[in-house]
Amino acid sequence: MRRKMDLTIIYMAITYASELTLLSIGFTLTYLTAKIPNFAHGTYAGFGIYVSYTFAKFFGINPYLGFPVAFIVGGILSVIVFKLVISTLTKMGSGSIVLTIATLAIQIFLGALLNIYAYVFIIFFKQYATAFLLKEFDFKIGEVSGIFFVSIGISIATVIALHTLLTKTKMGIAMRATAEDTELASVLGININTVQLFSWFLTGGLACLAGAMIPFWLQSSPTTGSGIITSIMAGSLLGGFESVYGAIIGGFTIGLSEILLTLGGQMLLGNWFGEYRPLIPMIFLITVLLIEPRGIQGFYERFQKRRGSKPTKEPEKKKEDEK
Amino acid sequence: MYSNIALGILSSLPMAIEGTSRLIVDIAMFFGLLVIVAMALNFQYGNAGIPNMGCAVQVIIGAFSVSAIVLRVMFTVVAASGVPLQDWTNDYNWVYGSPANVGLTNAFIKANAPIAIGFFLLSVGTALLLGAVIGYLLALPAIRLRATYLMIVLITMADASQIIGRNVVPISGGTLGVWIPNVFAWYPGDIGVITAVITLMIGLISFFIFRTMLNSPYGRLMRSMRENEVTLGSVGKNVVGIRRNILMFASGITAIAGVMNVYYLQFSNESGYQRAYWTYWPWLMLILGGPGNNAGTFLGAALIIALRRIIIVFKFQIQQYFFFPISYLEDIILGGLLVLVMIFRPNGLIPEKLLYIPGVNYTKMVNEDVKVDWRAAPKARAKKGAKPEEKKEEKK
Repeated sequence: MRRKMDLTIIYMAITYASELTLLSIGFTLTYLTAKIPNFAHGTYAGFGIYVSYTFAKFFGINPYLGFPVAFIVGGILSVIVFKLVISTLTKMGSGSIVLTIATLAIQIFLGALLNIYAYVFIIFFKQYATAFLLKEFDFKIGEVSGIFFVSIGISIATVIALHTLLTKTKMGIAMRATAEDTELASVLGININTVQLFSWFLTGGLACLAGAMIPFWLQSSPTTGSGIITSIMAGSLLGGFESVYGAIIGGFTIGLSEILLTLGGQMLLGNWFGEYRPLIPMIFLITVLLIEPRGIQGFYERFQKRRGSKPTKEPEKKKEDEK
Repeated sequence: MYSNIALGILSSLPMAIEGTSRLIVDIAMFFGLLVIVAMALNFQYGNAGIPNMGCAVQVIIGAFSVSAIVLRVMFTVVAASGVPLQDWTNDYNWVYGSPANVGLTNAFIKANAPIAIGFFLLSVGTALLLGAVIGYLLALPAIRLRATYLMIVLITMADASQIIGRNVVPISGGTLGVWIPNVFAWYPGDIGVITAVITLMIGLISFFIFRTMLNSPYGRLMRSMRENEVTLGSVGKNVVGIRRNILMFASGITAIAGVMNVYYLQFSNESGYQRAYWTYWPWLMLILGGPGNNAGTFLGAALIIALRRIIIVFKFQIQQYFFFPISYLEDIILGGLLVLVMIFRPNGLIPEKLLYIPGVNYTKMVNEDVKVDWRAAPKARAKKGAKPEEKKEEKK
C-alpha cells in the first residue's frame, strides 16, 4: 500500500516537472527576446486553468479537447500584452527596470481579471469556480492517471518541436539572431516585429497549455498560476536564463525536487515540513545566484573551457592580436 | 492636512474619537506609514536606481522585531517589576496567554511613562538595526548582478518572509498572531492620534534626513550611479558597496514603518504584510508622483491614499455597480494605473528637477559647455550662505 502511494506521488512530481519545463521554456524565450523577466508568465498559466474549467464545467466537454484553445488563448493574450504595453514602452526607450515593473503591473491586472472571471460563474451560473479539481474528467491507463502520459508527451513533443524550430527553420534562426542582437538582426533584413510577435505568441501559448494541465491533479484557484512564478523563475535561472536547453533541465529539476524534497522532508522530519514547500524553489534560486549566477549554462561553458574545445580558442586569438 | 490633525488631537483629548475624525486619523496614519516606505523607495530607486521590490520584507522585519524581540523584553521588564504575568516561554502560552499578558503590560505602561518611552526607542532602534542587517542579507545574492536579478530575489523574499512568519510561532504568533502592548498607553487622549502624530513626525524626520543626504556629495554620487554605473566604477568608486549601503540604510528606515504599523494595530500577524500592499502600492505612489523628487512622492502618496480610502469608505455604494468584490477592482486600478502612468506620464506628475548646486549654473553648463572651476564652488556657497534650493529648469 505504501509503495503504491509513493509511486503516485512520483507520477505527480513528474507531471508537475514537465509542466514546469514548458513554463520555464516560455519564460526563458521571453527573457531572450525582450531581455526582461516576465512576472506575468505564471498568470498566463492561470488563464489556461480557467480554459480547462470552462470546457469541463461550463460546456461539459472533455477538457483535453480544450488544449488547442488554451494554446491560442494564451498566445493571443501574450500578443496583446506585448503590443499594448511592452512594445509601447520599449519604443519610448524605457529601461529594463521599468519594463519589469510593467510586467508586475500586468500580473496584478490579469490576476484580478481571472478572479472576476471566476466570480462570473459564481454569480450568474451558481458554480463554485474558485477552487476546483478536474480529476473526474481524466482517463486512466492501468492505475496511472492519464495526465501523467499527456503532460510528459506534450513536453517532450514541445522540446523536439522547439529544437527543430530553432535549428532548422528560418523563423527559428531569425529568433535566435534577434535574441543575440536586435539591431544587427534588423540590419540583416529580419522583420523584428514579426519575430517578436511570434515568440511572444509561442511563450504565451506554451504557458497557457501548461496551465490547462494543472487542474487535472492539483486543486486550482485563480491565484494558482501567479503562485507558480517563483518555481518558474527558479527553473529558468537554474538553466542559465539565456539558454532554452538549460531551461528544459532547470524546469524539470525544480519541479521534481520541489515535490520529492517536500515528500522526503515530510517523511524524515514530520508533516510540518509540507508548509515550507514554496521555500524550496526560493532556496534553489538563491543558491544558484550565490554559486553560479549563470546556472547550468555557466557550468557547461566552464566545463567546455576546461576540456579545451572551441570557446578557449577565441581568447587566445585575442591575446595574439593584442601582442 | 495639518489643521485636520490638530483638530483630531484637540478632539481626542476629552473623549475617544469616532466617525469622521476617526477616518481622518486613519488616513493620517496610513499616509505617514506609506510615505515613509515610498520616500525610502524614492531614495533607492528614484535617486540611486536600485529597483527595490522588497519593501514588504523590510516592513515585515520591523513588525517581527517588535513581536519577537521587544515584546519579550517588555514582558521580562514588567515581570521583574512585580506584575504577576502568565508564563510566556512556550509556544502555546506565547499565543494564548498574549491577551492577558498584554492587558497587564498596558496597565504597567500607563503608570510608568518613562519606561514606555524606553520601550518605544528600543523598538525603533531594534528595527533600524535589524532592517540594516536584512538589507545586507538581501543584497548578498544579487547585488553584484543585473538589476533584474535583484528584483527577483527581493520579490521571492517577500513571500518567504510571510511563509516563515506563518509557520514559526515564536516570531509572530503564527497564524493566530500576538497582541502588542501599547507603548503610548500613558497618553491621556486617544491612542490612535498619538501613534499617527508620531508616525508623521518620523516621516518628517526621515524626509529631512533623505533631503540632506540627497543634497550632499553622496546624493550626487547616487544620482551618477543611477545614470551610469560603468562610468562611476571607472573613476574609482565602489559601485557594489555604495549600492549595498543605500539598501541597508533604506531598509532600516522602512522597518520603522513596520514598527509603527504594529503599534497602531496593537496586533502582530504575518497576514497583514502582503507584498501587494506594502510593495506595489508604494511603487505606484512613487511612479505616479515622479521618481527622483520627494515632492512627487508626497503627492503620489496623498493621491493614492485618498483614492483607496474613498473606495473603502464608499464601499457599499460602489459595490452595487459591480458583481465581484471590489478588492479586485482595487487590483485592476493598481495594475492599470501603473501601466498607464508609465506609458502616458513616464516622468510622473512632478518631473525630477535639477539639483541646485551653489556656484554652478548647471543649465548654462549643459547648454554652452562652460568650464566650471569646481574649487570656486564652495566659496560661492559660503558667500551666499543660503539654503540649497531647487531650480526650475526641467531636465532635458
